Amino acid sequence: MKDWLSRYGPSLLVFVVLLAAWEFATTNGYLKPYRFPAPSKIAMGFVEIASEGFPEDLTIWVHTRTTVGRILQGYIAAVGLAIPLGFLIGAFSTLEKLTAPLIIFGRSIATLSLLPLVIVWFGTGELTKVVLIGYGCFWTMISNVIAGVKYVDPVLIRAARTFGVSGPALFWRVILPAALPRIFAGARMALGVGFMVIVGAEMIGTVEGLGALIMEARNFYRSEITIIGMLVIGIIGFLIASGLLHLEKMLIPWDTGLDEVRR
Amino acid sequence: MSNRISAKDVLLGGIGTLAVLVPWEIAARSGIVDPSIFPSPILAISSAAEKLSATEVLDHMGWSLFRVFSGFLLGALAGITIGIVAGWYRTAGYLLRPMIELLRPIPPLAWIPLAIIWFGLGEPSKFFLIFLGAFFPVVTATYQGVTNVDPILIRAAQTFGLKGIDLLVRIVIPGAAPDLATGIRIGWGLSFGVLVAAELIAADKGLGYMIMHARLLGYVDVIVVGIVLIGILNLLTDGMIAWLIKKGIGRWHEV
Repeated sequence: MKDWLSRYGPSLLVFVVLLAAWEFATTNGYLKPYRFPAPSKIAMGFVEIASEGFPEDLTIWVHTRTTVGRILQGYIAAVGLAIPLGFLIGAFSTLEKLTAPLIIFGRSIATLSLLPLVIVWFGTGELTKVVLIGYGCFWTMISNVIAGVKYVDPVLIRAARTFGVSGPALFWRVILPAALPRIFAGARMALGVGFMVIVGAEMIGTVEGLGALIMEARNFYRSEITIIGMLVIGIIGFLIASGLLHLEKMLIPWDTGLDEVRR
Repeated sequence: MSNRISAKDVLLGGIGTLAVLVPWEIAARSGIVDPSIFPSPILAISSAAEKLSATEVLDHMGWSLFRVFSGFLLGALAGITIGIVAGWYRTAGYLLRPMIELLRPIPPLAWIPLAIIWFGLGEPSKFFLIFLGAFFPVVTATYQGVTNVDPILIRAAQTFGLKGIDLLVRIVIPGAAPDLATGIRIGWGLSFGVLVAAELIAADKGLGYMIMHARLLGYVDVIVVGIVLIGILNLLTDGMIAWLIKKGIGRWHEV
């Protein structure tokens, strides 16, 4: 308890002071209430959107479920496709060289710049959003899987060969474990990309989802609801990312962090 | 890490690219796929050239580049400054860190409505969004770099009598440089993504606007050319920044 207090106490204090100052400044007219809605107003807005919903019956839970559902659909499809493809490409250096320019270019395309094209192809419905998320996640994921497989320490492979390990055993017992930390890092990065893309994709052609909520709230001059939506997006992104990190630590205890690789 | 590219690699890469482009071109020309929805690469460029003049495209491109460079520059500078201050001075860290940690998980695009509320629909709101795209990755990477500098280096420097600003400038910042470089590259990527999105949603010039407007007119070829152009710009500018970083900190670290 004491440790906890000395660690988080100052931050918490700063936070409380800041909120109080903000509340004071808006209620006394130093800040415009529409531009900087007071914390109390945000809290009231949250009660409203959690019970009655905004716009019309769409509570914050519905928006959240919709957004998370869209992200997961695109994300899982992208990861499911990128892992086997990435292993294949990473394992054969000729294949890697054949595909290198395509992968570099595919990754450089700004995902949201595809929005108009994807709308022409699939309309403004659900598929468009899922495809965009899938596209963004796919390239992040596949480049990391390829790098993970390609940069497995050759000493490890040679050592395993010396001990007579080859074929599928070499893959399962040496290459896969060595590549996993990088693959997990890719999975986390891809999720970040998914969150980024969904917010943009939801701003057009829908009223459901957190991205739509924050945009719609602005149209109705409900800035406090915009802020609530932003915070919820941030909290969910944070929770899922730290969930993945814990999973990673549990599943691959030999992962000592990827600082070296990232540099 | 040796990254030499041999002639054979280029050849293989070329073959791989053609293996995608040629069937696409054939499919679009022979009508297997509808060329008005899925235009062939060559036809898309020539027909887009009829609809848009080069000066128009250059004008859009100029605006996009101006926005992204200026927003990124300010965002990265602010991120470096605040990251160093928060990482080096304990009190400042207590004040700044909770705010940064709270706001960091919010994707920059989620700031679009608030940016419009604060700054209106004009240039400043786009500027602010691009600023945010660069700021958060740079500030966290800088903070991390500064707090993770090898304590032995710092103690050694103190033994030699360095302290205060000198210690910060001559030991800590060079020590944090690799982290900083990572943050800058991530920040550039994010700024670029944010630029496109901001131009799609609210702008009257820029490449993002160009392709969104082309959709309203039904010009799929212009959209395709625009997407490719944005991709190429992203690739070139990222390469340029990577090169600058390598030149800039190469004397301290192997990158």
